[in-house]
Formats: sequence, C-alpha cells, structure tokens
Amino acid sequence: MELTDAGLVARVLVDDDQHAFGELVRRHQSSVRGLLRQLTRGDLALADDLAQDAFVRAYKNIRSFRGEAKFSTWLYRIAYNCFREDARRRKELVGINEEQWQAEQDPQTVDAGLRHDLMHALSLLPLHERSAVLLCCQNGLSHGEAARVLDIPLGTVKTNVLRGREKLKKTLAVWGSK
Amino acid sequence: MNEQIEQDWLDRRLQEAALYIQDDGFTARVLQQLPAPRPAGQFLRPFILVGMSALASALTYVLSDGGRFILVEMFRLTTIPTLWVVAFALASGMLVMAGGIFAAMSKTSYIQH
Repeated sequence: MELTDAGLVARVLVDDDQHAFGELVRRHQSSVRGLLRQLTRGDLALADDLAQDAFVRAYKNIRSFRGEAKFSTWLYRIAYNCFREDARRRKELVGINEEQWQAEQDPQTVDAGLRHDLMHALSLLPLHERSAVLLCCQNGLSHGEAARVLDIPLGTVKTNVLRGREKLKKTLAVWGSK
Repeated sequence: MNEQIEQDWLDRRLQEAALYIQDDGFTARVLQQLPAPRPAGQFLRPFILVGMSALASALTYVLSDGGRFILVEMFRLTTIPTLWVVAFALASGMLVMAGGIFAAMSKTSYIQH
C-alpha cells in the first residue's frame, strides 16, 4: 500500500529516511517546479534551481512541519519564500523565455495559441495577482491555504484572485468560453 | 451564471496548461544535495554529554577540597562595592537579553521556512 505524505514525513523524522524524502520529492516535484516556472515567467533553469533549494530547505526544516496544513501547501510556502528571496536579491524579475516556454508545453492537450496567450496574460499580471491565481485556480488550493502560502490576509487573496481572473478574462476574451 | 461558466472555463484552461513535468533526474539531484543522514547511535549523545558533565563536576568537587573555593569567592564577593555588583548584574542581564533576542530571531526565520 502506498504511504501517505504524512507517513513519509514521519519516516523522515524518525529514521532520517532519505528514500522516503525522495518519494516526497518525486510526488511533488512537478507541481512545485511548475509553480516556480510560472512565477519566474518561464525561466526554467532558475525555476529548477529554486525548486531544488526549496526541497533541500524542506528537508532541513522538516521538524517545523506540524501537519496542520497539507504537505504540499507547506512546500509551496517554502518554494514561494525561495522565489521571493531570489527576486529580492535580483531586484528585478526575469523576462519570459517564450521559445523555451512553448517548447515545454504539450500541443495535444490545449490549443497552442490559447496556451501561449494564457501564459503571456499570466506573465503580465502583477506578482501578487499571478501568485494568487496560480495557487488557487491552477494548483487547486483553497483561499485559506493560499493565504498561508503567501503569508497575506485571506481577504487580500480573494481580492487578488478576483482581479487576476478579471484581467485574464479580458485578455483572453477573444477565445471565448467554448 | 455566465460569470460562473467563464470562471470554470478559465480555471480549466489554467489547469490544462499546468502539465506534468517529467522528473528527468531532478529528484536525484535534490537527494545529492541533502546533508548526510545522522549516524546510527546518535541518540546516545545526550546521555554521554550528561555523564561526562557529572563526572567532571564530581572530579572538580574532589580536587577543589570539597568546593572550598566557592565559599572563599562568595566571601570575597561580599566585600566588593555595591555599585560594582549592580553594574555586573546589569551587564549580565543585558547579555542574557541579547542572547534571547538572537535565539528568538533565529527561531522565527527557521519557522518561516
């Protein structure tokens, strides 16, 4: 039977089991790297560096995971902190690498043109709205969970999601809701 | 109603755009960067520390003629001017407070991560 995230965390805590932590990384690497890729506006190398840093920090600080939130929410918070610290260090956010970004996407599932416009519209959103939209609309976090990740009040998250959605809808109006 | 349909459409497109990213050695790279696991038997460490401290205390007590030097120093302390004692107490208090603040700040940043 497959262990839950909480079971794997317990193994890491009790036995310092790095294989269990490896399983946690395998489970969550895609969503964490995906979130960071979009926060960094498609800078894949930077996003992967930040994701690695986030997982290493998660391992070192796993004792501070109290199990009050989902493990993925706790991870997103660490990843978001890594991103914020890096952005603060760089003082500016990197530009979108459109060619590489598009090459990474699978043309089978979503129309390439729509996806391109969606990603571009996302990259144009201010960071606070982009983060809230990504966490709530794309990664399926509740407003409360997103508020924990972003360390901002619940009302602010709701406002940011609403504003972000409105801007995306305006930008993508030409595609309609088919 | 339209509003809800539009919202669902947008959320669906966003979720579809978030495709699964293949591991491609990412997990292995993370595992390589992890600090070495704790060596087995590390649980004995606190017991060894307490044992060594107790032994050292006992040795000091025996070698110092039953801790006579403590009484001598206590007596000397009573002859020190009051102002000096107050200054010493203040300095010690500030030192402990600085240590506490530093520990609290370290703990806060640890929890945030």
